[in-house]
Amino acid sequence: MRNFKNNIKKYMLAGLALIGLTACDFEYDIAEEGSLADLTPPTASFSASQSEVDFLQYSFANQSNSATTYAWDFGDGNTSSEVDPVNIFPSEGTFTVSLTASDALGATSTFSMDVTVVEPEEPEAITPVVLEADFEDLSLPDGTGDGRDSWRNDFGGVIQITSSPVQSGSQAAKFPSAGDRIAYQSDIAVTPNTDYVLTYYYTLKTSNPGTITLSVIGGGISDLSELDGAKLADFVGDDQTSANDYVKVDLPFNTGANASIAILITNQGEEARLDNISIEPVAN
Amino acid sequence: MRFIYKYLGLAMVLGTLVACESEFLEPVPESAISSLGYFSNDEEIETGVIGMYDAIQGINSTDLDDNRGVQLEYYLTEMRSDNTRTKSQEGEAAQFEEFTVSTANGIVNNYYKSFYNIIYRANLVLANLGNASDAKAAQFEGEAKFVRAYAYFNLVRLYGDIPLVDGLIGPLDNETAFTRVATTSIYELIVSDLEFAANSLSNGEKFRASKAAAEALLAKVHLTLGNYTDAQVLCENVMSYGFTLEPNFNDIFYNEGNNEIIFAIAYNPGIESDSQDFSAEFMNGVGRTVGVNYVTDEAIAALDEFGGDRTQYSYRVDPSQPTQTQVVKYLPNGEDGGADGKTFSTDATLSGNDWIVIRYADVLLMHAEAILAGGQETSAAAALASFQQVRDRAGLTTPVTSITKTDLLTERRVELAFENHRLFDLIRFGVAQEVLSAFSTANGYGFTATDLLLPIPQNEINLSKGLMSQNPGY
Repeated sequence: MRNFKNNIKKYMLAGLALIGLTACDFEYDIAEEGSLADLTPPTASFSASQSEVDFLQYSFANQSNSATTYAWDFGDGNTSSEVDPVNIFPSEGTFTVSLTASDALGATSTFSMDVTVVEPEEPEAITPVVLEADFEDLSLPDGTGDGRDSWRNDFGGVIQITSSPVQSGSQAAKFPSAGDRIAYQSDIAVTPNTDYVLTYYYTLKTSNPGTITLSVIGGGISDLSELDGAKLADFVGDDQTSANDYVKVDLPFNTGANASIAILITNQGEEARLDNISIEPVAN
Repeated sequence: MRFIYKYLGLAMVLGTLVACESEFLEPVPESAISSLGYFSNDEEIETGVIGMYDAIQGINSTDLDDNRGVQLEYYLTEMRSDNTRTKSQEGEAAQFEEFTVSTANGIVNNYYKSFYNIIYRANLVLANLGNASDAKAAQFEGEAKFVRAYAYFNLVRLYGDIPLVDGLIGPLDNETAFTRVATTSIYELIVSDLEFAANSLSNGEKFRASKAAAEALLAKVHLTLGNYTDAQVLCENVMSYGFTLEPNFNDIFYNEGNNEIIFAIAYNPGIESDSQDFSAEFMNGVGRTVGVNYVTDEAIAALDEFGGDRTQYSYRVDPSQPTQTQVVKYLPNGEDGGADGKTFSTDATLSGNDWIVIRYADVLLMHAEAILAGGQETSAAAALASFQQVRDRAGLTTPVTSITKTDLLTERRVELAFENHRLFDLIRFGVAQEVLSAFSTANGYGFTATDLLLPIPQNEINLSKGLMSQNPGY
């Protein structure tokens, strides 16, 4: 019996020891030893695009790597767990949108981006600026100029300036009857594929038959031989009713595939004057 | 004197050694042609030029170890859009319509390898231009740069950042072969290559590069980059060269080399080395791979509503499986397959239908797109005129007074259906995510925004030894 009791004690001790050992083994099982690190943690990333129908609505394109779940915070109180969500912002303004991407091991990555919500403006046609358009002294943007600095070129002699008659102000351009003076101005910015009207005034002396021609050129030219190929519109003025009264011309043109235009003015046969050039887009 | 003999002897030994090196250890093979010492004159370089087009043409085979070239392109473009799908929705081919493309997809890998092989062959021509005559050098260079730009433009739109290989590289140059370069740098090479090609080439060719082909492709590149005025100028150049729309829409595809074609890849029937099998693959039961590029309900609806005369020449009900719908722009050698749609007098798997890359209607619609310039609507006369020409040919002669962006996208869809434009159009118009999400939801597919780029083939990533990263979402 004592033996039996002793044996029971032994067995119990052995059993306790075993339990202890087993418990110890569990501890080692749970330890980090032997397990692998998360070799492919997530990287969060996205891009946003504004809807063309509703400017407050944005579509998000999730560009995250190695992630399985997503938490979006749109910065306006709205959230989402979709992969590629759509959000409608409450108003114009800047919102910090953040995306937290997580993988199944609980590793996370967060990416934030400011989205500035603005109602897109209707693109308006550029109103072109012609320098020294009225041939007045000191009329360049910096307050200098002799009324014809913007019109000098290599195609012909520099134009002359007249003080009488003029259409307005105190000066106008003058082209002597020899026809060897040419006015040319390029790099006038315009909106492509847009209808414009160029308005100007001219007058011709009346002794001999003569004309004054204004051409609108797409882009620019480096030689007069290129004129025919590049011309968008032109007008040959031949009204010789009066040497003193200016005739108004409205010359319509479409800019086509050009972001800039040039103006070329030539005359022949008789002394001519020209004043006050302006270009306006045609209202749709 | 003795010294002289010694030196002479030494010199002779050296001479022998030198001779050994160049003649015995590196012999030029006599029974076969190798690139070593070849490409020494115009005639030989021209074979290299033809070789570039041969690489685009691809090998007519059902083995994905063969470079299939452009013959597989519809999988990556049309079947990854809302235009087409597989007939039975199974296998590797169905990954495209379901937007579940795997990184190990063999078709994705084949196209990547094929198109880098095209680039290699173009670089090979460029590396040997020094041996060309002055008269031919500019033409060869223009053709090689056109072909290189064509390949890069497709690759960069399909795969995103990709390795930039602009010369011959050795097998150990892993840095060049596997470093992914930002798309902006790839586009810089494409633009400069096409500008060179447009300046050095002339017009007249349809199955090799021409000035018009280079300008039209560059216009598409500029539209993709948002340079609308540049694109418009290039379209207007091409519009001045005398191309015309074929009066009958069907003739575009069956009157080969017609006046609407600007650039096409030529195939000849019956010859294994010069034919294609995509015509058979679009059919039912006429070869090993069939029943792909079948038409979706969405494309049928668009064609029925907006196609005009084009609809009947774009799809048909599959005669041997009336619940399904086939593309009919490339019927094998022009045969309709009889009552069951699969009985052909010639071998359909050796078809000779050309693959049209650029045609005039595309240029006219690009012209309208350039004038629209990213806006929502245009009523510019020049845009209306180009747009109307395309619609008039389709019998839709009611004058159009304004074009919205949606109108233009729809017109492109029905005019150019099944010609591998749809996916690129959706992306370029900025509506791919919206349109394909809706399409995917309606059909129970798995589209997410990252599906707009294909995966880099797993094979390349493995070979790169850690240099290449995968696209997001794969």
